[in-house]
Amino acid sequence: MAAASVSLSQLTAWLARFRDLVTEQRDYLTELDSAIGDADHGANMARGMGAVLDKLDDTEATTVDELFKGVGMTLVSSVGGASGPLYGTFFLRMGVTAGAVTEMDAAALGAALRAGLGGVIARGKAELGDKTMLDALSPALDAFDAAGDNVAAAANAAYDAAVVGRDDTIDLVARKGRASYLGDRSAGHLDPGATSTALLFQALAESLS
Amino acid sequence: MIGIVVVSHSPALAEAAVALALEMVPGTKPPIVIAAGAGDGIIGTDATRISSAIEHVASPDGVLVIMDLGSALLSAELAVELLPDPDLRVKLTSAPFVEGLLAAVVRAAGGATLDDVEREARGALAAKVAQLGEEEQDPAVEPRGIGAVQQVVELELSNPSGLHARPAALFAAEVAKFDATVTVENLRTASAPMRGDSTIALLTLGTRRGDFIRVAAEGPQAAEALAAISALVHDGFGE
Repeated sequence: MAAASVSLSQLTAWLARFRDLVTEQRDYLTELDSAIGDADHGANMARGMGAVLDKLDDTEATTVDELFKGVGMTLVSSVGGASGPLYGTFFLRMGVTAGAVTEMDAAALGAALRAGLGGVIARGKAELGDKTMLDALSPALDAFDAAGDNVAAAANAAYDAAVVGRDDTIDLVARKGRASYLGDRSAGHLDPGATSTALLFQALAESLS
Repeated sequence: MIGIVVVSHSPALAEAAVALALEMVPGTKPPIVIAAGAGDGIIGTDATRISSAIEHVASPDGVLVIMDLGSALLSAELAVELLPDPDLRVKLTSAPFVEGLLAAVVRAAGGATLDDVEREARGALAAKVAQLGEEEQDPAVEPRGIGAVQQVVELELSNPSGLHARPAALFAAEVAKFDATVTVENLRTASAPMRGDSTIALLTLGTRRGDFIRVAAEGPQAAEALAAISALVHDGFGE
């Protein structure tokens, strides 16, 4: 069963699993984005996470902050779209909060994720209900924190909440990003950013189970 | 002179916009670096490139960053956070990309401060707004208040197209050389007084050949400013 803490190699496995998921679902994410955006989210995320794992293959991180800062900087310079600075800031802030450790318990991982969320909010200036990645990310972290000190159980709870948050974006009208130009016509579609965020938590849950 | 960083999703768009803007600057050009695209022909923006570009043009005079849209803003904000030197003076402007860049380049070439250049860039939609008869909302065009003694001259514009882009830029650059506040009115249209040190404000006057303008100046160098401007206008801006 799940351990009380997460190791550096499990966190790396999380990133690899996320890379696999966004690569598998590249066309689906792009299709979602073509409905309400500029049709590049799948390609951008697959390219960005591909670059992240390539870099990790070259130089292995020795601490969690090193790992996440490296991930953030790679995403910032390889994604291209708004997901670059958003996911990039998420991981950069996670790294700062995590610090030079080699494993994290549920509370530490929760705190790092929470700092990442703060970074996404500061960067994108979105609010809940704006039909963005925040609508999956924020409920996921609430569920993570509420789940207690079993980190695998917390990751599962976060994944479930992210899926609900993702699906709830269908009815929302976009108020941020290019989709906001569509106004009411953005309703009726899943938000691509919330969808990739749900994959981020699917990857976390799977890599910790 | 301040530095300018041009951020766009598309290198082609940025290069064309810079070329257009630099047509307005006959002499020394401000340092400009483009940070566009996400590499490998990918349309997008890259915060690390923007950060390097800012460092490249940085000086104590500061750096203006002008962006196209969407992720360009997020990447530019992140780029400022990534700067190794947190004391660099950097301003991100909400100025429209093409008009704002043109205004900024002209103004920066004239040696204006970062704040001045940014204000000018942000007010750069004024000419378009005025042309289309929309409501004026330009912060760069501030009519003068009443106060100190003004010196006034009325001048006829004899050059072919009045205070169009290049003459307006020369006019504003001349005004900026003096410690004086200068305003300009178009007497044919009975316009409001516009700031003489702002190319964009001068463009909104809609002057043409044969128009008379009233130029008012106040401040320690008011007389010198008017003399220099009169000479420039009499000379037909060299056209």
